[in-house]
Amino acid sequence: MINTEYKDTLAINGQTFKAMIAAALTWLKTNQQIVNALNVFPVPDGDTGTNMVLTMQAAYNEIQNLEENNIGKIAHAIAQGALMGARGNSGVILSQIWRGFARGLDSLEEMDASILTRALVEAKITAYKGVVRPVEGTILTVIKDIATTSEEIKDQDHILEILEILVQAADKSVIHTPELLPILKQAGVVDSGGKGLFFIFEGFLKFLRGESLDTSSAIIVKPLELMEGNELEDIEPGQDFEVIVDFRPSKSFNLDVFYADLEKMGTSIQVGEGDGIYRMHIHVPTENRYMPIDYAMTCGTITKVYVENLLDQMENKGKESDQPLSLTEVEPGQIAVVAISPGKGLSKIFASLGAAAVVEGGQTMNPSTEEILHAFEDLPTDKIIILPNNKNIILAATSAKKASVKQVEVLASNTVPQGLAAMLRLDPYSELDEVYEEMQAALSEVDTGEITVATRSVTINEVDVKEGQAIALLNSQLVCASETIEGACLSLLEKVDLSERERFTFFYGANISNEEVNHVIDHVREKFPNIEVELHQGGQPHYQFIISIE
Amino acid sequence: MKENQNPMGNVYVSHRAIATIAYQSAIESYGVVGLAAKNFAEGIAQVIVRDPTLGVEVGFDGQKIEIDLYIIVEYGTRIKMVAESVSSNVQYRVEKTIGIPVDKVNVHIRALRISDTD
Repeated sequence: MINTEYKDTLAINGQTFKAMIAAALTWLKTNQQIVNALNVFPVPDGDTGTNMVLTMQAAYNEIQNLEENNIGKIAHAIAQGALMGARGNSGVILSQIWRGFARGLDSLEEMDASILTRALVEAKITAYKGVVRPVEGTILTVIKDIATTSEEIKDQDHILEILEILVQAADKSVIHTPELLPILKQAGVVDSGGKGLFFIFEGFLKFLRGESLDTSSAIIVKPLELMEGNELEDIEPGQDFEVIVDFRPSKSFNLDVFYADLEKMGTSIQVGEGDGIYRMHIHVPTENRYMPIDYAMTCGTITKVYVENLLDQMENKGKESDQPLSLTEVEPGQIAVVAISPGKGLSKIFASLGAAAVVEGGQTMNPSTEEILHAFEDLPTDKIIILPNNKNIILAATSAKKASVKQVEVLASNTVPQGLAAMLRLDPYSELDEVYEEMQAALSEVDTGEITVATRSVTINEVDVKEGQAIALLNSQLVCASETIEGACLSLLEKVDLSERERFTFFYGANISNEEVNHVIDHVREKFPNIEVELHQGGQPHYQFIISIE
Repeated sequence: MKENQNPMGNVYVSHRAIATIAYQSAIESYGVVGLAAKNFAEGIAQVIVRDPTLGVEVGFDGQKIEIDLYIIVEYGTRIKMVAESVSSNVQYRVEKTIGIPVDKVNVHIRALRISDTD
C-alpha cells in the first residue's frame, strides 16, 4: 500500500520534517553496512556508515521530544544535535550540512519548494566553507549536485516530486564519484559519505511515499560496484567460474524467486539494478557454468554475458608476475648496459638500475653468444657494456663483442653483486672507456657470498664437503660447509673482513622458502648488529642466497 | 634528515618535504580552514600562513617521525573530531608517501574561524 498523504504536499512543517529525519535515520541504519563496505581508506575514516548513523542519531535525539511545529526551530535543533554528536570525518561534514540547512530555513514555520532550495544551497555553501581545499568525489560533491539540481527545477512545487528528482541526482552524483577521485576508481567503489547522504535523501523520499524502511537494499548493488575484475577474493570450492549476466527483466520478473533459484546454482550472488537493466553476478562450479545464463534467458532479455574462469585467474595470480621489465631506453650515442641475470628478481633490479637489456642465464644455463649479441644488436646506440655477472659467461660475452660491429666492452664481473656495484657507476652520457674504467674499479669494492648445496662430496681449499651439505663461497672460493643454510651464511660472513663493510644485501633464490629466508635473516641481523642487512628477491636457481657485502 | 634504505643507496627526506606533505593533507582535512604560525612570540597566531614550515613542526628521532600541527578550525564543527581526522589523515599520508612510521601527530588548535553567525 502506497501512502498518498504527501502526494500533493507543497510545504513541510516541523513535525513532518521530524518524521522525515526519523525515516532517514532508519533508512541509513538499514543500509549502514553497505556504506561501511565502501570504505577505501585504511585510516582516515573508519566506518563511514556507522559514523553517519551515530551523527544522525544524535541529531534525531535532539528533536525526538520536541512538539515544535516550526520547521526552522526543528532544523536548528537537528543542526545542534548533529554538531554535538558528530562522529568521524563524514559526521563532521554532515553536521555542517545540517547547520547550513538550518540557516537557510531561519525561523520559518514551513518549508516550501523555494525554501527547500535555499536551505540546500546554504547547506552546500556551509559544507564547502569547512575546508580549505575541498576534495571532489566525496559527500561534498553530492550535496553540491543536490543543491544545483534543486536550483534547476525551480518550476516544481510539489515536495514529493522535487525529492524524487533530488534522489535521482544524488544517485547519479554518487555513481560519478569514482571519475573525480582516482582512489575510488582504483578500489572499484563509490564514495561512502556520498552514498550515506544519498540514503538520507532516499529515506526522506521513502517516508513521503509511505514506503517501508526496514527492508535493506543490501542485496541490490549498483552495477558500478559490481564491475567485473574488482574483486579477486579467495576462491572456495564450487566457485570455479564467475558468471555475470546483464538482462532486461520481463514483466513477471520476481527478485525473490530469482535469488532463490540462483542460490541453487552457486554462491557470491549479487544482483544490481540500473536503468531497467539487471546485472547478476554469481560464482558457480565448472559443471554449472552455463546454468545461470540459461536461467536468466527465462527471466527476460539478455543483453550481455561475462564468464571468467576463476581457477585460472587464481593460478595466474600465484605465479611469478611475468610483467615485462621496464628497461632503460637509450638514445644514439649513449652507453647501453647489457646485464646477464640468473633470476627474475635480479633482472628487475638490473633494469631498475638502468640496464638497457637483460639476458637471463647463469650457472648452469649460460646464454649463448648469439643470445647476448641479439640483446644489444638492435639497440639504437653503438656503445655497449656487457656485464656477464658469472665467470662462465665472460667467454660468451667476449665472443659477442668480437661478432659485433658496435663498440663493445665486456666488464669482467664474476658475480651478481659485482655487476650491481658496477651498475651504480654507470653514466650513460660519458665516454665509453671512462665509464668502463669507473665500473671496473667498482668490482673490487664488493665481496660476494654465495650459498648453495653441494652436489657431491669433495675437499677443496682444505674444506671437507659432504654431498647435500650447505656450502658457502666467498668471491667464488669455497670457504666453508655446514649442515644448515643458516650455518653456512653465518660462518661465511664471519670470514669476511668487516672493518670497512657496512651492508649485507641478500638476494634469495627460487629454491628457498620465505620462512627459511626470514629465519636466516633474523639470525644474521642478531649476529651482526652493526651491519645493515637488506633482503631482495633474486629468483636465481641453485643458489639459496647471493650476498653482496659492501 | 630522514634516511630510507633502498638497495643501492640512501634516500634523504628533508623536514621541509615532510612538513609540506603534512601541510597539504591537513588543509584537505575537513574542518581545517588554515594553519597558524607555531611561534606565539611572533604574535601572529591568527594569521593564516601559507608556508608549510610555519604551521608544521617535524621531529625525527632516527626511527620515527613526530609531527606538530598548528591549525585553525571552522567554528561550529566538532573540534575533537576535526582534530582526530586531521591527525589520522596526516599520519596516513606521510607514512604512505615516505614510508617511515609516524609515531605521533600532535594537533594544536590555535584559533577558530567564525565565517557565519547562526
